[in-house]
Amino acid sequence: MITQPATRGADADLVSASWTEPEAFAELFDRYSAMLYRYVSKRLGPEPAEDLVGETFLVAFSRRRSYDLAYADARPWLFGILTKLISRHRRTEAARYRALLRAPVEDHVDSPADRVAAGVSAQAARPELAGALAALPARDRDVLLLIAWGDLTYEETAQALDIPVGTVRSRLNRGRRKVRAALGDTNPLLDEEA
Amino acid sequence: MDDMKLLRDFGAALEHEPPATLARQRNRLTGARPRRRRVGLLVTGLAAVATAAAVAVPTLVLRGSVAPPTGARPAKVVTGALNVLLVGTDSEVGSKRFRKGARTDTILLVHLPADRKEITAVNIPRDSIVQIPRCGSVPARKSMINSAFDQGGLTCTVKTIETLTDVRIDHMVEVDFLAFKEVVNALGGVQVTMKQPVNDPKSKLRLPAGTSILNGEQALGYMRLRNYGDGSDMQRIKRQQVLLRAMMAKAKKMLTDPGKVSAFLGVVGKSIKADEDFDMETMVDLATSLNDSRLPTFLTVPWVPSPDDPHRVVWKQPDAEQLFARFR
Repeated sequence: MITQPATRGADADLVSASWTEPEAFAELFDRYSAMLYRYVSKRLGPEPAEDLVGETFLVAFSRRRSYDLAYADARPWLFGILTKLISRHRRTEAARYRALLRAPVEDHVDSPADRVAAGVSAQAARPELAGALAALPARDRDVLLLIAWGDLTYEETAQALDIPVGTVRSRLNRGRRKVRAALGDTNPLLDEEA
Repeated sequence: MDDMKLLRDFGAALEHEPPATLARQRNRLTGARPRRRRVGLLVTGLAAVATAAAVAVPTLVLRGSVAPPTGARPAKVVTGALNVLLVGTDSEVGSKRFRKGARTDTILLVHLPADRKEITAVNIPRDSIVQIPRCGSVPARKSMINSAFDQGGLTCTVKTIETLTDVRIDHMVEVDFLAFKEVVNALGGVQVTMKQPVNDPKSKLRLPAGTSILNGEQALGYMRLRNYGDGSDMQRIKRQQVLLRAMMAKAKKMLTDPGKVSAFLGVVGKSIKADEDFDMETMVDLATSLNDSRLPTFLTVPWVPSPDDPHRVVWKQPDAEQLFARFR
């Protein structure tokens, strides 16, 4: 096990420390680079992921003085920057999902029990999911994936994208409705579930 | 059917783990000079980083860099082989125990052959009386090898060893008290077995006989412990080798994936000094090349007691010369 420093300060403390000691910013990289990498690897694949993560931190570093220290957690801020950078790769992303429509993705370790519990094979649903994601407008896809793949809350997503929480909810609902439609489910009762 | 669950599963299937090379991106932040990117270095099985944990630590954001010696240096003969000088100093800058100057209490020359299979680490006894060449404004003199550092820094230690051995030193790394403690703590402690209990006020080490797991502070005490056994530096070197070997074995076991490696390097890299060329990318390259290596073999420079002072040693010739000839 790797021993972390006993007291782990808030991200905001690191950002403000980096105003006078730029090295402090590298600690944020240590905390979140792997998380951001995993997220980009899902949306764009591993090839551009490394560079985009580096770019995200460079942009964040250059804007560190405008960081709002009221937010202790820097993840939404970093995800927000990353989302903008991903938007430059929209074609790559769409092509990736379209490719997944045709070719099955590499086998993923899912226990049989999980699949039974899900009542549907996630593997089998992948072409539909990929198709739905490719067809979504970028702003709805950003919200849906920050929540589903980035594990952000609604509030954090709102902060990342600099939009009201209500807008997050409506975009999420729209996105989910289209995903469910692609999966062949038209139960309107689910629409209000958030 | 839960669409969010399906979507998450879908994402999990698409997800990739960050490669060790991701740490290069950190260098962009910290202003390390850009280096060409080599293709095909996506590292798997980085267990090997640990094989040279001692060598592996000086990456990422280093606390400072050390300049290589100027002037004539031994030529590099074997392509692909690598010699790394690793020194442990008693520098405690900023601590209460701060003393004047710093000495290299542990000097280790690590040789990695081109095929990286049989790594050798040679301890150079700190009490070795040797000819120290002129370093900057300090004239040449005959003295204990650990004084080269005090007078001329690591650069002078490198110059001294290159002059004595005719071995070209490719990289150099300096670990001080604080850095050593951090490395041990980042490894989660390291296990040693003592035949006799220890209660030594000088190194502040108290240990029962038998097996103990040492934290950073205790491991440092163990490294420094002299008042034990016959009290000689030679026995201390033996103890140090046992500890370093245990640290490397632990690192090799622990650093099994690139994420753990970069986290480890992130923690310990900050407190270590190395030469400018020994940066993250070089490190990752080196680690990759160590996949099939065994733990290093530890040796000590062959020596005899100094004719002028029984508490000091001089290198035994031609044995020492023969040992270093293998490194050229």
